[in-house]
Amino acid sequence: METQAANDVETPYSFRQLQEMIAAYLGPENVPRRFKIITDTSDFFRVDYNDVVILGGVPYLMRNYTREGRFGLDDEPKYWVRKAIDLKNREAKIIKLVFYEEIDARVGDMVFKCVRSPGKEAAILDMVAGHRNFMQGIAIRDTAGNIVRILDFIQGKRFDELISKLAGNHEEFFYEHLPGYLAIYGKMVKAIGFLHDQGQKHGDIRRDHILLDRKTDDYRWIDFDYDYYHAANMFGYDLFGLGNILVFLVGGGDITVQQLQANESPHLVKLSPEDMNIIFNNRVANIQKIYPYVPDALNYILLHFSNGANLYYENTGQLLEDLEEVRINA
Amino acid sequence: MSIDHTKCDITGMVERHIMIAVDSSDNSRRAVLFVGDFFGCYEGFQVTLLHIILEPEATFFRDTDERQKWLSGKLEEAKKVMDEYRHILLDAGFPEDRVNVRIDTMQAPSVADCIIKEQEEMKCCTIVIGRRGISKKEEFIFGSTSNRIIHEAKKCAVLVIE
Repeated sequence: METQAANDVETPYSFRQLQEMIAAYLGPENVPRRFKIITDTSDFFRVDYNDVVILGGVPYLMRNYTREGRFGLDDEPKYWVRKAIDLKNREAKIIKLVFYEEIDARVGDMVFKCVRSPGKEAAILDMVAGHRNFMQGIAIRDTAGNIVRILDFIQGKRFDELISKLAGNHEEFFYEHLPGYLAIYGKMVKAIGFLHDQGQKHGDIRRDHILLDRKTDDYRWIDFDYDYYHAANMFGYDLFGLGNILVFLVGGGDITVQQLQANESPHLVKLSPEDMNIIFNNRVANIQKIYPYVPDALNYILLHFSNGANLYYENTGQLLEDLEEVRINA
Repeated sequence: MSIDHTKCDITGMVERHIMIAVDSSDNSRRAVLFVGDFFGCYEGFQVTLLHIILEPEATFFRDTDERQKWLSGKLEEAKKVMDEYRHILLDAGFPEDRVNVRIDTMQAPSVADCIIKEQEEMKCCTIVIGRRGISKKEEFIFGSTSNRIIHEAKKCAVLVIE
């Protein structure tokens, strides 16, 4: 049996020691015959399934890469984001290797430059350590100085999946579930305010970037590595993301013109361009026109994210203040 | 009672000190041309050309070299454009010793905050700024510097040049 590392790097563990640790996790019959011991992760394509990456003196057994679903498109593989096992305590982790990328972020018909910043995510991880509404983890530099993030694996469902599942009958969802979810939403907005107060932005607020942590029953923001150059308002893009989530939540999903047309909805004739989402012009933001039982105080908030808005939220405090006024009574 | 016309009495500021908040855009150039055209032939005005370079967090860059390169590029561009703006004002009749040029590199949530902070420190009685003419969508996501200044600036006049 071949029992050799494919490379030869100085590590605190011998190949045999690592094999024993892997055997303790996978069982002796499943120990890989060959694997690399990696301490420099600069070339993340070199990090294969079953390799052991040593970070901060801890060996991590690499598993599959992760994928990110994006609204109906095929899931995109994220080769630099790997599932892993901490071989010391056998906990599941997500390891984000360094991938510098400049992205043309597209929001509606607007395009702007975004970068992936491991340093920003590391700074936020440090800032939110112990905060129940953020993913938890640490950042460690590998031997080449790459800022690798080691995240606690969150077992649980995405926020948008939970809402879509509950919202089959909107009126029932509205009275039975929405009050509770609005309270959760308020907590998530407060958490973003916590970042803003310390001069940081999330950078990629989307409804699939909130996970319900099954272990702790907490909702957590994930993925804070996006960054962009801001000039006039650092927090505008985050607030836009928060608005989209609220419109999705109150509507029990996106309400699009296409859906209304397909269902020959009588509400279609009542809609004007002012009622649509300011960026995604096919989504209804004035949800009261579809569901008249949406109270004025709540619809007033939604209208801040519509084409007809003349006033926008500039910070989370303003949004929270209006949220506190919302009452849903059956 | 005599009125001292060299002072901005309403604002309580020390003298007729106009700040033109600029960058390298066409609308900034229009703001400078406006000030030159309207005030260049009068005595008693002091003008400060202010260019804010809003510096991102260090983590925005891969390393210090990239950050340094970004900053040098911005500074070079700012110096070039400020030289041009200064000459526009001098040609319009402002005395050389009444035109100040200031380039500041700052970290803040918005350029408007930096401009207002500088206006308060320099006690300028007027802020002049060009309007970018951005779409409603852009304003919603990225904000508008001129709108923010209109709403936030205190104890000074604000001129927004289309």
